[in-house]
Amino acid sequence: MKKLTVAILIVALAMGSLFAQGAQETKAAAAEPITLDVIIAQYGPNTQNWFLGNGLNGSNFVKLFEAANPDVKLNLEVVSWNDLYTVVSTRISNNNAPDILNIDTFADYATEGLLLPVKDYCPDELYKDFFPSFIDQSVIDGTVWAVPDLASARTMYYNADMFKEVGIEVPATWAELEEACQAILDYYGGNVYPWGIDMTTDEGQAAFTYYTWNNEGGFVDKNNNWALNSAENVEAIKFAVDLYKKGYTNPSPATQTRYDLQDMFGAGKLAMVIAPNQLPTYLADKGYKINYGTAVIPANEGKAHGSTGIMDRIMAFKDDSYTDQAKRNAAIGKFLSFFYSKDVYTGWVSMEGFLPAVSSAVASLAASDPSFSAWLAVLDSCQFYPTAKAEWIDVKQGVIQVEQSALEGGDVKALLDALQAKVSK
Amino acid sequence: MNKVLVQRKKWEPYVWLLPSTLLMTIFVVFPIFIVFKLAFSKISKAGVVTGFAGFDNFVAAVKDPAFGTVMLNTLIWVVAVVGLSTIIGFAVAMLLNSKFHGRKIARSIVVFPWATSLVIQASVWNYIIKYEYGNLNNLLLNLGIIKQAINWRSSYHIEFMWECGVGIFVTIPFVAFCVLAGLQSIDAAYYEAATVDGAGAWKKLRHVTIPLVMPSLTVSTVLNIIYVFNSFPIIYTITKGAPANKTDTIVTFLYMRAFYDQQKGPATALSVIGFLILCIVSGIYMSITMRSEENL
Repeated sequence: MKKLTVAILIVALAMGSLFAQGAQETKAAAAEPITLDVIIAQYGPNTQNWFLGNGLNGSNFVKLFEAANPDVKLNLEVVSWNDLYTVVSTRISNNNAPDILNIDTFADYATEGLLLPVKDYCPDELYKDFFPSFIDQSVIDGTVWAVPDLASARTMYYNADMFKEVGIEVPATWAELEEACQAILDYYGGNVYPWGIDMTTDEGQAAFTYYTWNNEGGFVDKNNNWALNSAENVEAIKFAVDLYKKGYTNPSPATQTRYDLQDMFGAGKLAMVIAPNQLPTYLADKGYKINYGTAVIPANEGKAHGSTGIMDRIMAFKDDSYTDQAKRNAAIGKFLSFFYSKDVYTGWVSMEGFLPAVSSAVASLAASDPSFSAWLAVLDSCQFYPTAKAEWIDVKQGVIQVEQSALEGGDVKALLDALQAKVSK
Repeated sequence: MNKVLVQRKKWEPYVWLLPSTLLMTIFVVFPIFIVFKLAFSKISKAGVVTGFAGFDNFVAAVKDPAFGTVMLNTLIWVVAVVGLSTIIGFAVAMLLNSKFHGRKIARSIVVFPWATSLVIQASVWNYIIKYEYGNLNNLLLNLGIIKQAINWRSSYHIEFMWECGVGIFVTIPFVAFCVLAGLQSIDAAYYEAATVDGAGAWKKLRHVTIPLVMPSLTVSTVLNIIYVFNSFPIIYTITKGAPANKTDTIVTFLYMRAFYDQQKGPATALSVIGFLILCIVSGIYMSITMRSEENL
């Protein structure tokens, strides 16, 4: 028995000393290459291959980066959007935040003091290359906390052959949209859904903008305060829900995602859909052959048209365990410089079918894609989600709940009033 | 020498139990402890623990407008899936226990739904019942059974019924095989004695079969209550709890609260509530069934 006790004590002491040793160790001794943990969002089927396989000129981003920067190693992980928030949040909870993260939201991380200011690691030359209007979207209290990695703009796509067959014009106003929906419904006898709506937890917040921004409403007022229950918003959401109630839309806007709608559009089961600029790439990849046209998203009579822009970001987390913070910041800067270098970045943006966030990429992208300049003009007029506001996550999920409840017969005004009251607390 | 042997005998069971106790501690007890701790902690949206919250997370979880709907859905989900799969599974087990040509093949086929991943099962069913353009409509249209495509998911009530249906479909094999194991261990002499005493098929079922497979049925029911209560993939794949939590059960609801709404405090509180409900329900069920078995 004594022997057993002694043995247990020895093992415990040995393990204790191991832990103590581990605690004293700090990352990145001066002579060794620094290793950065990087999490990249999976934008499409090519993302993984481009970063880790052989999708970048027969090699991949990590290999080429490490060859160009032997003093920096990348521990890079591509994570699907479905799992991204879970992975990041779990890692933060376990004090294991990545060094570099590619995601859409940043306000919670910034306000909780987890992020490094961009000026600490982003080289000046690169910083000046970002579109200023994009950088402005990542500012809280005068500090820039993230840089944009790409953008996309939303517009309305319509099945040109169907419109010709039915003999109708492309709608520009809500009244025209309802007329077009009715005409399509009458002509095809219910075999084609005239209008696509996605009010799922994936993209319900985008649906909110398609109607409110085209009725001169929106998430915030002119002073950037939440204005979720404005008369314009109530009218806009009622209009969208009425489209569903009148039978003009896909059967289940609360569960049918944008990808379901894009597939229905490609298969000729949906006449009109609001989708991002990368829809043509999506349709081509899936083998859909459809004659489509694009147009502005219909607006209420007498109201200005509003386009929806989506922007994702790259940000760097603090890590106090590094003895040489300047070296770490420089390594993060090298990552950004390599990622946004002309050939690498234009290849990345065009592969995924997105729009660029840096001005140096515009010329070569415009030369390779004739439709690119038009999209860039749309992007220029786009409004973005107010992601810099700390309550954004609550608002995002809140408007989706409002839409889904309204689809089930809930009173739009009462629902928006309740959300406004909750967010304003 | 005898003393050493006695000492050894005293310690030996604990040595053999040590690996499983260690594993249980690391993978079961420790996470439970962490979840309980988190349920009483303030957790920021980013996931950082910022202090002690008392019962605030529990109050926030229970006060959520969707809480009542979610709890009712969970009750319907567990009762419908466990209840119906137990009844149907019992009948399937009786069928598989009888002698007929191709019994081995039938037994293999029955196990398929249980052996396939739940996410795949749910995805396949999602395609089958996909509104007006799912495989079910294609089949019925091609066979000429229907002339016009039917929307098989025209309301959230129907969608929830489909989810329960998928849950039942994938649970039946487990019940069937548990009961089948029990049926095969019943000595034929009991039935012969019952026949001699003039018992018919119904009396044999009631007084011989059911009492003797009751231990297997108890195990399968308790395990199913736990599995079904905690089941996530079916509802998440088919509706994600939409519209507005109308098809959520407690598990999908707490997942959405934690990772979509970034409300990790109330989500962990919900997790603790779910754990306690499961402990109580399973405990009551086991004590009732064990008491009735003792009374046999």
